[in-house]
Amino acid sequence: MNFIFTEEQIQFKDTIKSFLAEECTPASIRDGWEKNKSFNFERWKNLIELGVLNSNLPEAKGGLGMDQVTLALMVEEMGYAGLPEPVAEQIFLVNDIISFLPKNITEAVESNYNDGTQYIAFAHPLAPNPLFLNDAAGLILLNNSECNFIAKDDMDFESISSNDPSRELFQIISMNKVISASENFDELNTAVSARGALMTAALLIGLAQKMIDLSSVYVLDRTQFGKPIGSFQAVKHMLADVAVKIEFAKPAVYRAAYSLSENNPKSALHCAHAKFMCAQAAELACKNSIQAHGAMGYTWEMDLHIYMRKAWSMMACWGNEDRQQDIIFKTLSSASEELGVLYTF
Amino acid sequence: MHSLKKEMQILKMKINFTNEQNAFRDEVRTWLKSNVPETPLLSLDTKEGFEQHRQWEKTLNQGNWSMVTWPKEYGGRGLDLIEWLIFEEEYYRADAPTRVNQNGVFLLGPTLMEFGTHEQKSKFLNAMATGDHIWAQGWSEPGAGSDMAAIRTTAVLEGDHYKINGQKTWSSRAAYADWTFGLFRTDLDSERHRGLSFILVPLDLPGITVRPIPQLDGEPGFAEIYFDDVKVPVENLLGGDGEGWKIAMATAGFERGLMLRSPARFQQTAAKLLELYLANQDHCSPMIQAKVVEAWAQSESYALSIYHTASKMLAGGSIGSESSLGKIFWSELDHMMHQTALKILGASAELSQESQNDAAKWIKGFMFSYAGPIYAGTNEIQKNIIAERLLGLPR
Ligand SMILES: Cc1cc2nc3c(=O)[nH]c(=O)nc-3n(C[C@H](O)[C@H](O)[C@H](O)COP(=O)(O)OP(=O)(O)OC[C@H]3O[C@@H](n4cnc5c(N)ncnc54)[C@H](O)[C@@H]3O)c2cc1C
Repeated sequence: MNFIFTEEQIQFKDTIKSFLAEECTPASIRDGWEKNKSFNFERWKNLIELGVLNSNLPEAKGGLGMDQVTLALMVEEMGYAGLPEPVAEQIFLVNDIISFLPKNITEAVESNYNDGTQYIAFAHPLAPNPLFLNDAAGLILLNNSECNFIAKDDMDFESISSNDPSRELFQIISMNKVISASENFDELNTAVSARGALMTAALLIGLAQKMIDLSSVYVLDRTQFGKPIGSFQAVKHMLADVAVKIEFAKPAVYRAAYSLSENNPKSALHCAHAKFMCAQAAELACKNSIQAHGAMGYTWEMDLHIYMRKAWSMMACWGNEDRQQDIIFKTLSSASEELGVLYTF
Repeated sequence: MHSLKKEMQILKMKINFTNEQNAFRDEVRTWLKSNVPETPLLSLDTKEGFEQHRQWEKTLNQGNWSMVTWPKEYGGRGLDLIEWLIFEEEYYRADAPTRVNQNGVFLLGPTLMEFGTHEQKSKFLNAMATGDHIWAQGWSEPGAGSDMAAIRTTAVLEGDHYKINGQKTWSSRAAYADWTFGLFRTDLDSERHRGLSFILVPLDLPGITVRPIPQLDGEPGFAEIYFDDVKVPVENLLGGDGEGWKIAMATAGFERGLMLRSPARFQQTAAKLLELYLANQDHCSPMIQAKVVEAWAQSESYALSIYHTASKMLAGGSIGSESSLGKIFWSELDHMMHQTALKILGASAELSQESQNDAAKWIKGFMFSYAGPIYAGTNEIQKNIIAERLLGLPR
């Protein structure tokens, strides 16, 4: 038992953090909004160079064979920076499930995505509108019984707008050439849903942290009644409540990631737990951060909503809190003797 | 740009138990199985129950289980925090008796380890382990609750002893305890945090009057302690004269952070809540189900967080103001779980007599869960600490 990060893991996290602090500023995100082009190829290219996009591919494929705990730590930073590009998606939903895909789908993906550097979009009942489909080389589409791959030129689609302008979403109108497979579908679907939950959980924890950091700075700066509003206890307590939620959501993310890396049979439960805790933390972070900003928090001008909008989306897709609750309950009620004090690890 | 692609070996974190740890768990389990009394002890807030619980402390000590993290010379096993957490898990799983000496073993013990002299350690730790000294905690005074620095009880150095005058209150276990540790003002001209000292006081000294205070459940779980020219030998001073605040903060850190409320307690409550819900599911609404899941999720998170903290401490880290986060989390969780249990119980939630569905136990726990957000520093005070020390907001 050593529930602690290695120096390497911290180093990866710090590297991506400082990269994003420079390259993914609020101004650059707003620039994408104005140009109606949130997918920034320059930044995508730099992330490829940094080794992030293929970090969890096997070494034989030019990757680093990185484990899910390190990925989660990096994805947390992507949330913190509000990174628009679908890096977390590519890492968790494509690279990390490639070994679960049916053979013909794997071949189709591999011939299109150039060792992780070409983006492949994903559609699933829990996140039905593929993200940045017009910037993708193809689409993996899971419905309720089979897995499909469609190359970009083999389908027609149209844009559908998201409440988060950083997320360019699409819906498919028609597909001309579809590669399909249904073998091992349940196993694949479970693996995908778990990764979707974990990925959004990690993003949410970063987003929640960002919102509380922005709020802590703002309440020091803004004065009323001759004092910084951060000296008022009502304001302090709102932010402290968020800090508590974040603190106890984080280890759930790390444990879930660890479970995936160990192929723990309870990993689906652990990922649901992570998303459940992180969605609650992010929800309170949104509510209390706006409140601590007053009317400024309700403006388009203030950067807070860049992160809040992403958080709302991440709470909604890949299974919201209610859905995770359902998954947890089903597991608890069918195997209650195997849960609790002795079965945390 | 610094590239990630350099030669590095990816070492993984390890969050499962080693074979040695599993063997240790088995050892604890086996011992508890043959030693935990079959009939529950009487309440530790009655004279007779208190002595039964003292006896249990002695039994624990005979098995070397008083405090597994202490060095062997003081009655411990020299084990680490992870093993302590394992011990606690088994302890709660076995429904073993409440530790009547928790003020001693969980709070004063680690404080002595850090600040005590060799003589103090061997005298007090051993007597604590054997259950011969059951400890009370004496911080609060009528005028010093949340504002602990307003302490006015004085201890004046006169030759080889301190002379103590004043009053402590809300002192848990003091009704029947043997000793109390507390903060006293040794520099009469001092104010606030300065001039306080940490002194260990036997409760049978002349000049001490203990007046038990019945709690919400009607039993004297805490007491007032009056000091009237009480003479305490100077060797009972822990740390330096005037260093009391610093030492007390360390004790409070152990209390909030890790020791007082190990996760197993809440995981066990969550498991029992689930069991209660599954047996009564038919007449409950989906809202209750959501709470039951939340109870599991939060107690699970609390456990993960504590293992994370314990691992960090083993790697040389320390807990600071983060302990305030945990204190809020477990106390609110405990209250939520008991409140949910009462909702499941329906009309029997008012029965204080033993019944089939354990209503009385839930009610007792429910009442006590109201105290969690108050003792060990109220949750409002913890939020102030979080905002000021962790988030950097102005005082
Ligand atoms: C079951 C139980 C066991 C206890 N055991 C012990 C023990 O063994 N030894 C011991 O010394 N003490 C013990 N206590 C006392 C406990 O430490 C105090 O009750 C606690 O510190 C609060 O002090 P108080 O009761 O005077 O409340 P007050 O300080 O009067 O607080 C009342 C309310 O005002 C709020 N408040 C006060 N100041 C502030 C502020 N600055 N900002 C925001 N809100 C504020 C509080 O949060 C609380 O809600 C125990 C208490 C209980 C309930």
